[in-house]
Amino acid sequence: MHQTLLTVAIIGYVAATGLALAYLVQREELLHRLAALATLTAWVLHTVALLTLAIDLGRPPLASMPEAVSVSVWVVVLLEMWIERRYGLSVLGAFVLPVALVFSLQSTPTRSLIGPTLSGAWLWVHIGLALVGIAALVLNFAGAVMYLLQEHQLRTKRPGTFYYSLPALATLDRLTYRTLAFGFPFLTTGLILGVLWAGTAWGSVFTFDPLALSSYVAWAVYAATLAGRAAGGWHGRRAAYFALVGFAVLMLTLGAGLFLPGKHGG
Amino acid sequence: MALFVAGLSHRNAPVELREQLAVDEDKLRELLGDIAAAGVVREAIILSTCNRVEVYAVADVPGEARATTFRQLCRHRGVEPASVEAVLYTYAEGDAVRHAFRVASSLDSMVIGEPQILGQVKDAFALAQSCEAVGPALHSLFTQAFAVAKKVRTETEIARHAVSVSFAAVELAKKIFGGLEGKAVLLVGAGKMSELAARHLVEQGVFPVYVTNRTWARAQEMARALSGTAVPFDELSTALAAVDIVITSTAAPEPVIRREMVQRVMHGRRGRALFFIDIAVPRDVEGAVDSLDGVYCYDIDDLKQVVDANIRERVREAHRAEALIDREVAKFLAKQGDVEVIPTIVSLRERLEAIRTGEVKRTLARLPGATPETREAIEALSTAIVNKILHAPITKLRESSRAGSPRSWLELVHELFGLGRR
Repeated sequence: MHQTLLTVAIIGYVAATGLALAYLVQREELLHRLAALATLTAWVLHTVALLTLAIDLGRPPLASMPEAVSVSVWVVVLLEMWIERRYGLSVLGAFVLPVALVFSLQSTPTRSLIGPTLSGAWLWVHIGLALVGIAALVLNFAGAVMYLLQEHQLRTKRPGTFYYSLPALATLDRLTYRTLAFGFPFLTTGLILGVLWAGTAWGSVFTFDPLALSSYVAWAVYAATLAGRAAGGWHGRRAAYFALVGFAVLMLTLGAGLFLPGKHGG
Repeated sequence: MALFVAGLSHRNAPVELREQLAVDEDKLRELLGDIAAAGVVREAIILSTCNRVEVYAVADVPGEARATTFRQLCRHRGVEPASVEAVLYTYAEGDAVRHAFRVASSLDSMVIGEPQILGQVKDAFALAQSCEAVGPALHSLFTQAFAVAKKVRTETEIARHAVSVSFAAVELAKKIFGGLEGKAVLLVGAGKMSELAARHLVEQGVFPVYVTNRTWARAQEMARALSGTAVPFDELSTALAAVDIVITSTAAPEPVIRREMVQRVMHGRRGRALFFIDIAVPRDVEGAVDSLDGVYCYDIDDLKQVVDANIRERVREAHRAEALIDREVAKFLAKQGDVEVIPTIVSLRERLEAIRTGEVKRTLARLPGATPETREAIEALSTAIVNKILHAPITKLRESSRAGSPRSWLELVHELFGLGRR
């Protein structure tokens, strides 16, 4: 049941992505409305799929990497829809949905994240918080990409599609900052719980687990960006480049979780 | 009776001829009077702007009406009719409707999307109305044209992007800063164009305004004109630190704003962007300033480039507007057609409704013991029968009117249902 729903939801995300990209280029209001409708429909199906899965399993659908990724896609799309309305940022979907789509295609359930011995409320909280953090950072990445595109347009002084369809630099800078400020505490708390967990369950905080190690690096990059923003008055381009680097490490982290053997994987 | 528009515009007529034919308000009244007196048109509106002279009219014999109207116009303006005849275009019926919609929506303008034309069309309409030259046909055409123009403006971006250098600068500032409320501007040097750009910025909420100039008196004068503050010229770099937008337009042969100066200023700004609008030739801002992080610098050529891109953007939007107008023309013509058959549809419906209520009343009188349910059922049954019978003739009438040949069908329906002579 949940598998069929999930497949339909992913097809919905594919359609929404296509429409959002078409809207970015064509700037036809109808395309935007269709994209928003497709996104909402797919997201509702996704919600039902996750609920069914949780009921079937009798636990939160967070125990395997694909499950966790699927939930993070769900949060990403929720945030996308909310920010799009809140900021009137109609092109946001074109930058967030492709990422969400790549995530979803990786989320076919294959391997188990945690063995049956490892469970308990703290573990769910660890995974849940980390996922919300990651979802916000996907939005942070999208904001940074949009910022750099608009900045490039303004520097080359040859207005093109992006000049017309993207909002002001200040708006995009605020978006990247706020998504980081929102996501970072979640990521941090999630990681701390993970570290504490590792200390008790694995016996050591620094066991060689690719996902854990990679996530420390990602955290450090984001921490540096946030510190630079708050204290050093970092703005615009530099902050955007850091967002890209942070996101790249974050992707490595997820890739490590999905494809490398380690304590988080098989 | 036919609707037509005849005229000449910037598309085909040279400016000399347009100048000669352009008519002012008093002359227009006179002309409308003369045309009415000639008795060849039923309704007429004359639109006269510097880019077009057009007559919208309803006449029994459009060809004759057109010839008479322009003969009158040429006589009034002292122009040789032959020279006008050569460039005159004429559109009839559906094409005339489309032309009216396109003109009012500024799709036929020299600068696509310019806002003045709609006002000019409204004025022409009001003037013709005051001369009692407007009848039902032109009234519905023009009120619809105003609605279509509004729709085009809101549903397409035909008028959205700036096509003047000073507005393009404001638009760029918005693309950098988002809202402009509370952003500060500094004018370096005085000039008509920089004053204009500054005024546009102030309209968008830019405040405060600083003005500096090598000539102190000139700075003060300009500051007064813009309700700003004059700043001594040697405090230029201090002023730069305090503002977000700088408009430069000095006559200096060398750049007055150097890279090192801006670099120093940027250090203290904690990444806040600085936008230079350099409309001076030769330029006031050194080229290398542009490459600094957080600094955007547009010289006059860059601004023109933005304007060119905006014009291309308007042309692109104009294609969408044309599609919208196609739909609106079809809708308008369909409605016009319906107008002709509506009285017949109404009387047909009334006739059948009268029969129905009469028969229902008689039937119910014969059924004194009928329950409310029975009564309701009889009402519903009879209504359903009437509606089913009406469906085919009404559809046929509407279709025939859209196809443009309702006459014979109207006759037929009147005969068949005994609706009396039309």
